[in-house]
Amino acid sequence: MEPGEIARRLEEFIRDNGGFDRVAIENFRRMAGGASREIWSFDAELTRGGKTARRGLVLRRDPGAHKIDTSRSAEFRVLRAAHLEGVPVPEVLWLGEDASALDAPFFVMERVAGETIARRLLRDEEYAPARKDMPAQLAEILARIHRIDPKRHKLDFLAAPGDNAALTEVRRYEDNLRKLALEPHPAFELTFRWLLGRIPKTPRTTLVHGDYRIGNVIFGPEGVRSVLDWELAHLGDPMEDIGWMCVRAWRFGNDHKPVGGLGTREEFFAAYAQASGVAVDPEAARFWEVFGNLRWGIITISQARTHIDGFVKSVELASIGRRTAETELELLNLIEGA
Amino acid sequence: MQDRPTAVELLEAAAEFVEREIVPAIQGARQFQVRVVANVMRIAAREMHLEDPAVRAEVRALAELLGHEKPHLHSLDDLHAAAIKLNGELSERIRAGEADAGDFRARTLRVVRQAVEDKLRVANPRYLEADFAARGKATDQTN
Repeated sequence: MEPGEIARRLEEFIRDNGGFDRVAIENFRRMAGGASREIWSFDAELTRGGKTARRGLVLRRDPGAHKIDTSRSAEFRVLRAAHLEGVPVPEVLWLGEDASALDAPFFVMERVAGETIARRLLRDEEYAPARKDMPAQLAEILARIHRIDPKRHKLDFLAAPGDNAALTEVRRYEDNLRKLALEPHPAFELTFRWLLGRIPKTPRTTLVHGDYRIGNVIFGPEGVRSVLDWELAHLGDPMEDIGWMCVRAWRFGNDHKPVGGLGTREEFFAAYAQASGVAVDPEAARFWEVFGNLRWGIITISQARTHIDGFVKSVELASIGRRTAETELELLNLIEGA
Repeated sequence: MQDRPTAVELLEAAAEFVEREIVPAIQGARQFQVRVVANVMRIAAREMHLEDPAVRAEVRALAELLGHEKPHLHSLDDLHAAAIKLNGELSERIRAGEADAGDFRARTLRVVRQAVEDKLRVANPRYLEADFAARGKATDQTN
């Protein structure tokens, strides 16, 4: 669908669902990031009863891809729960669940000012204060996410992990690999053996963000402003988010600082323990870090397949297919002699 | 037989033009996408140099690891098919637990690491360099 057509249909949708007399959209443009998902930024003039308000808004739309459990409506409901529990997230406004309005499921949320590009965070002078404060901020916000009660917010529809969250996740991604990989990957097979020999217990089951990392937060010089990309949220072991935060790809080259290129594992674990009252078992965190690297490797295959199979033709998705080897090397480093 | 410039020279000329002339002229999401375009052209050019000897060595190492006779293959297509078949066989043996410990594990790790490093020499040589530096290994000599 052409951008002009999306904007026109979106005006009608917001008018009808928001109870407005008139809606006018301006500055409708695609934002950076989100290779297989579309993010559009726009300004809306909302008129009701002769009064007009202007709001900066964002449209999230998923025009079809090889999906590893994504759903716009689930993301919308999780975002609303997070907002109510004081997690810094954009306020979600309208959900287009049945896909008819824009040919794909979508929702509209408030636009939060700030930067998302991880390399700017790690390199630009302007963000030096953010670099210092963000490891502790990210740990505190994560503790708050893990305190959200799924029952109270009617999030029990999310995929539940069964008796053992680690085993469930490992099996799920093994299935994904078998379905998606076009070539054998012995480095991934070695990693599955390593993980299956070290499955940790699941001491508590919580809401898990599922993609908690730099690149998925809006920040300013003062630090975190908003946590984005909730489409992989599920119920599981909170240590999964801790391990994902330590995955090498999210260091963007700053490899001497394992947590998002910003800090050490020790300071991140300590800040999380202080905020949550739950100590981080380094063995369990290591399991989830290895799993996280493997998971990212399988996602790179899935993204390449999205291009190869023609769901979304994109040079960016195609190029991600050649990043699989990066995760294979990191996995060999992590499992060799351990 | 084609005349010069070679396919590698054509791709490198195109990548250089994109990097020097197009990238600085645009901003934002588009600029990122155009950088990706230049990067995939660089990958394709490196692959033309490096893939034939690398996949030949990979097939040889896998055959030896798995106790097969040294294969006599010539075309790159045949080599790729052999690499997929042998990596599939190795994967099955890993899944069966044969590489959990001992000599076969050590030999498997060596062969798999070599193949992964060869993929990175094409896909992202700077990542491989950074990894060597971080692990205190000598700089990559094969480029």
